[in-house]
Amino acid sequence: MKIHAAYLPGLNAAELPQHTLSFGEDAQRVDVAVPQLTPAQLSALAAHVRARGGAQLKAMPVSQIIAAIDCAIERLLNAADPYRLELELLLPRITGFDAEMVRLGLNAYLKTFRAPQLQRFVAEDFANPKLLDEFQPVPKGGMARAYGPELLVHVWAGNVPGLPLWSLVCGLLVKAPAVGKVASAEPLFAPLFARLLAEVEPRLAEALAVVWFKGGDTASERALFGEADVVLAYGGNDTLHALRAQVPITTRFLPHGHKLSVGLVSAAALDAQQVQAVARAAALDVVRYEQQGCYSPHTFYVARGGRVTPREFAQALAGQLAALEHKFARRDLSLEEAASVTAWRQAQELRSFAGHPVELLGDADASWVVAYSDQADALQPCALHRTVQVQAVEQLRDAVPLLAAQRAYLQTVGIAAAPHELHALAGPLGEAGATRLCALGQMTAPEAGWHHDGRYSLLDLVRIVELEASAEAAAEQYAPYRD
Amino acid sequence: MRGTYRKAVVAEAAIPPSNEASPLVTDLLAFIARARGSEEDFNVLALRLFAHQFQHNLAFQKFCQQRGRTPRTVRRWQDIPAVPINAFKDLTLSCLPPEACERVFMTSGTTRGDVKGRHYHPHLRVYDLSMTLNFRARFMVGQERMRMGILFPNEQLMPHSSLAHYLALALHEFGTPDSRYYLGADGLLVDDLVATLRQVQSSGEPFALLGASYSFVHLMDALQARGLQFQLPAGSRLLDTGGFKGQSREMAMDEFYGALSQTFGVPRSACINMYGMTELSTQFYDAGNAVLPAVKSGPHWIRTRVVDPLTGQDVPPGERGILAHTDLGNFNSVTTILTEDVGVAVEGGFLLLGRAQGAQAKGCSLAVDEFLKANRV
Repeated sequence: MKIHAAYLPGLNAAELPQHTLSFGEDAQRVDVAVPQLTPAQLSALAAHVRARGGAQLKAMPVSQIIAAIDCAIERLLNAADPYRLELELLLPRITGFDAEMVRLGLNAYLKTFRAPQLQRFVAEDFANPKLLDEFQPVPKGGMARAYGPELLVHVWAGNVPGLPLWSLVCGLLVKAPAVGKVASAEPLFAPLFARLLAEVEPRLAEALAVVWFKGGDTASERALFGEADVVLAYGGNDTLHALRAQVPITTRFLPHGHKLSVGLVSAAALDAQQVQAVARAAALDVVRYEQQGCYSPHTFYVARGGRVTPREFAQALAGQLAALEHKFARRDLSLEEAASVTAWRQAQELRSFAGHPVELLGDADASWVVAYSDQADALQPCALHRTVQVQAVEQLRDAVPLLAAQRAYLQTVGIAAAPHELHALAGPLGEAGATRLCALGQMTAPEAGWHHDGRYSLLDLVRIVELEASAEAAAEQYAPYRD
Repeated sequence: MRGTYRKAVVAEAAIPPSNEASPLVTDLLAFIARARGSEEDFNVLALRLFAHQFQHNLAFQKFCQQRGRTPRTVRRWQDIPAVPINAFKDLTLSCLPPEACERVFMTSGTTRGDVKGRHYHPHLRVYDLSMTLNFRARFMVGQERMRMGILFPNEQLMPHSSLAHYLALALHEFGTPDSRYYLGADGLLVDDLVATLRQVQSSGEPFALLGASYSFVHLMDALQARGLQFQLPAGSRLLDTGGFKGQSREMAMDEFYGALSQTFGVPRSACINMYGMTELSTQFYDAGNAVLPAVKSGPHWIRTRVVDPLTGQDVPPGERGILAHTDLGNFNSVTTILTEDVGVAVEGGFLLLGRAQGAQAKGCSLAVDEFLKANRV
């Protein structure tokens, strides 16, 4: 089947030359046609969104923006809604992820964007959310107001379904009209959301545009970034490096690089009663989106000293991965991905021959691999697609320096531990570079209002304008009612 | 066949492994020297080598046992476990102790920083015979000797480079006395080479220029900077190998061969690409690059399968897969290696489609390749 994906207010997409992105094969094949804009058309589109969309968006109080997003999310949570049906039909075909996994993942994810969660999101960054609507008195004296960018540009990456929603919503909450560039790996979600939002709230119809151009098209990047106050980009370090080179120095660049995440399992969680539940939670974190999220675990460090040994935990994890294989089939791997998985598996095996205590659990033809090691190493990425390491440590705090070795990349740490251990570990993990500590089983579902990669999602976007107390005081001298 | 094979194993176990005088090496040299080899003869020799390597290389033995493959169960060369090339970095894949080996070739270490793959050669008789017979057939095509220019350091500068040895062999075995290196410790000797190119251009003597693909890029840039182009005499040939490896700017294949042909006045059909690896003892060639991608093939003592990396089984004909080579020339290491190269089997050989390495992460999780790159010094 063939669909069109883009959202271009003020332009007739049908008149533009189209590029086709193809996904899947045979009956499952989807051709996504995306319009190709020239750099000049991109600039004009950006100017249109900034002027027309901005005027409408900036006139709305945050509470009304939240109401509009909530309304759109409610539609997406409704199993009978045509937009929802389109997502459920096409996202599995485009990304290759298991359809049931996508359905459950969408529900869990979209629930974090309902009105109460969005209010919390704003309150997380703004003690007084009205700062976004008008000048407000501030404790140090005087008044202040937060202005979102005149134009925000998003550069999305990757195929984790719905990922663009995070930054899209952040931009809307600070009243930033935005142009987003979708990734070739998943061009569907963002334009669909923009269309839906326009339908539920016509005042937002020109506040967003969604385009596609090939990654590395520097002429298009320059044209678009030249119009932006803030560029928010996702991608690998090479991509971010190349993008940054196209951003004017006066434009704020907010990069989100690829990350590494891990799980920690304490001896307290390792008894016969609990081990299966812990292993299940860990396995779900691995299986969800095939470890492609920045929050997905690559390694579980497991403490010795429980009734269940780290090796037995690895076996339990293997068992749960085997069980989940039937519930959520692994996506078909490209040749390159398959080669990468095989190379990783073989590398683990070679380490064992070279004297490292590594043991591979799972047959060569299973769609998952657990590499158990009796000896822990510095955190290393695995090959994704359900390849995971379990490494034994004496105590969980021994894992901290192993994580700190990758502090530039560290993000989420999923933890199964007793309360005193959890709180004792939080400090050292923070120092090691982690930005999010969560329960095992929740690694792929950050809570509403989380600070992505440890940054303020909304505050980073805005400009605070201060009306100082001196101006207020001085104004009194010129008041018509002065004494 | 089974009886012969058993006897051979017993006999070979009694003789010092990989010794030059061992019947295995003698038979191997004889097989390579033949004009052609049948599938059956290839199979017999491959299985003998497998039994030998299984017995004398414990790391390889473990690797095979993990897969349930032993000389008892392996009946076809296709069933010999393919060892990933990374194993040359992690393991000592040698039947003889490394210190007893005359030569070790090392990989350039482009993918894993400081860790180099090592390929141990007890002696180079097999390597050299393999190289010379194959080179004569595929590059010299009827010529005994040619005037040659080498765009690569010599063996003294790079004693552990298999390519340096390969090119030294080409120069000494097939080059005329005035053949020489045009790359020294300080880089390309552009002036010398320009003088030579001018000379052969006027004398009409066919000339062969051989070297790393990236050296050709540097050379073409240098010549372009001087505004120079040549029209080398008929019969002149070029041989490039190894790709660009981040040593020069990347060029698309079509652009590269177009530029080569234009710069040196050599038809693309005489621009030969050699595909070789430190982990092999035998090379593959194409018959020129007029049409891309060019079909690569090797001599009768090496065979290539195109496999699914997950299962290790051959992919259906015409489908892309990972290349696995069984090189009988690898008598001391392992005959069968699993590469990181993507290819497709075609009539008369295979097409090389690039490296599987660099599978782009589709999500926002860090991928192994990006990680390795970030940690490279």
